[in-house]
Amino acid sequence: MKKIFRYIFLVLVLAGCSKDPNLTEDMLGGGVIFDPSLYVPGEYMISHAIPDPTPEQALTPVIIASHGYTATTFEWNEFRQFAEGHGVYVSQVLLGGHGGNYDDFKNSTWRDWQSAIILEYNRLLAAGFQNIHLLGSSTSGALYIELLSGNFFNGKLAPGQIMLIDPIVIPSNKSLSMIHIAGPMLGYLETDQTAEEDKFWFRYRPEETLRELQSLINKVRKDLERGLTLPQGTSLKVYKSIKDPTADPVSAVLIKRGIKTYTGGSVEVEMVNSNLHVYTRLELRSHTNADKQNQVDTFNDILQRVKND
Amino acid sequence: MSRVKLFSIAGNNPFPLSSRGFIIFFFLSLPVASQERDLDIGLRFQKSINFYYENGVTAQYSDDRLLSKRLYIGFSYISSRLGTARGSNAVKQDNYLIMGTWIFRPQRMLQPFVRLNTGYFIADYEDPVFDVLPNTSLLVSPEAGLGYKFNFPLKAGISLGYNVITGDGIDGPGTLYPLYVQTSITWNIFAKNETYEKDL
Repeated sequence: MKKIFRYIFLVLVLAGCSKDPNLTEDMLGGGVIFDPSLYVPGEYMISHAIPDPTPEQALTPVIIASHGYTATTFEWNEFRQFAEGHGVYVSQVLLGGHGGNYDDFKNSTWRDWQSAIILEYNRLLAAGFQNIHLLGSSTSGALYIELLSGNFFNGKLAPGQIMLIDPIVIPSNKSLSMIHIAGPMLGYLETDQTAEEDKFWFRYRPEETLRELQSLINKVRKDLERGLTLPQGTSLKVYKSIKDPTADPVSAVLIKRGIKTYTGGSVEVEMVNSNLHVYTRLELRSHTNADKQNQVDTFNDILQRVKND
Repeated sequence: MSRVKLFSIAGNNPFPLSSRGFIIFFFLSLPVASQERDLDIGLRFQKSINFYYENGVTAQYSDDRLLSKRLYIGFSYISSRLGTARGSNAVKQDNYLIMGTWIFRPQRMLQPFVRLNTGYFIADYEDPVFDVLPNTSLLVSPEAGLGYKFNFPLKAGISLGYNVITGDGIDGPGTLYPLYVQTSITWNIFAKNETYEKDL
């Protein structure tokens, strides 16, 4: 019996141990590399670049593009480059807690992540922009849906288009559902990514933020079960990779069932033949011609939807 | 999905009529000569951790020949239709389980037990655009828990279970979650009053 208690004690001690990852200066979070939007926000966010738009600029479509969990503004660089010369503005938002120090990320909540989207949206409205759209990948999809359920757009100009690339409501790895039980024993999880990707995505995922992610998607799932209605004049489209290894493709099922247009119609869903998560980001990733075609088709579709709105 | 259509009686019942008939026949044909036999029939309530409530019915049988009533064999049907999906947008999904349960301390009121379930899972996404996604799976789940046998033919049990096979949305349905808690309340329809009076 004593032996058993000894083992239980050992497990408790190990579980209570601080587990800090081995961060280096070559990694995001290591104290040297930061997201560039923190230094030069005017090159990424339209509210900083054009704080006082002309009437013509105010009517130009602005696409707020925000990234996924652990990522940075890098995730939407390819779209910003693609959209150049197409008569739209792309405002790349860095989610709160992201793109800086590991400890800041570790201590951030999903409300902090979302606050950066809210801040940019409100700043664009205050500046006078009248043609705003939302484009989000992965976790940003859940954050946008949470804005809908929280009635954030009530009483203000609503976005024309909400476009979700591989949004997450259900994770592919179901172990995330047990993070509140197993988390304290983990400390953090290491992601399998290249050294180059380490500069733009946190390699180590603190269990505190995984719990935040689980809390967010659990809330969004329940909101969708109750049912959400888009604001008048807002359209929503989900683009979902069929073999997404991170955000379970069934997330698209829950979104389509859970959100209706203002007139009670269905939202659009396109199932994309891809095995990539956030298939619109190909830089620093090995990819096929079919992957490139998927990216171009989606970018063109996004631009068309925004310009026809 | 051709796999779904194979079982398309009433749209969502995976058992062909002959199989359902077999299950009913199985319980009706249980030996009547035995003095000590239990047929517990009742309700099962299940909650996956951080996911749906799935509720339904359960039945399990044992008699003296089944290792002195330590082993119970049974069947359960639980569905989100009777849980989270009732009156909501949650995915409608059904679980058909065959169960083997080993009871410790069968003569006592408090009965720890272990159970092994196996069966079939099917989710209904209700939209052809999602026909490209997997929606069926084999189920295998060990459980461990505690039962309580009352002084009358009622039994209650609670257990923690783990779905060994879960879905990632690529190789299996994405709404099949690993960890769950289930409770069941059953009534032994073969109970004889004198048996319980003797226990008092």
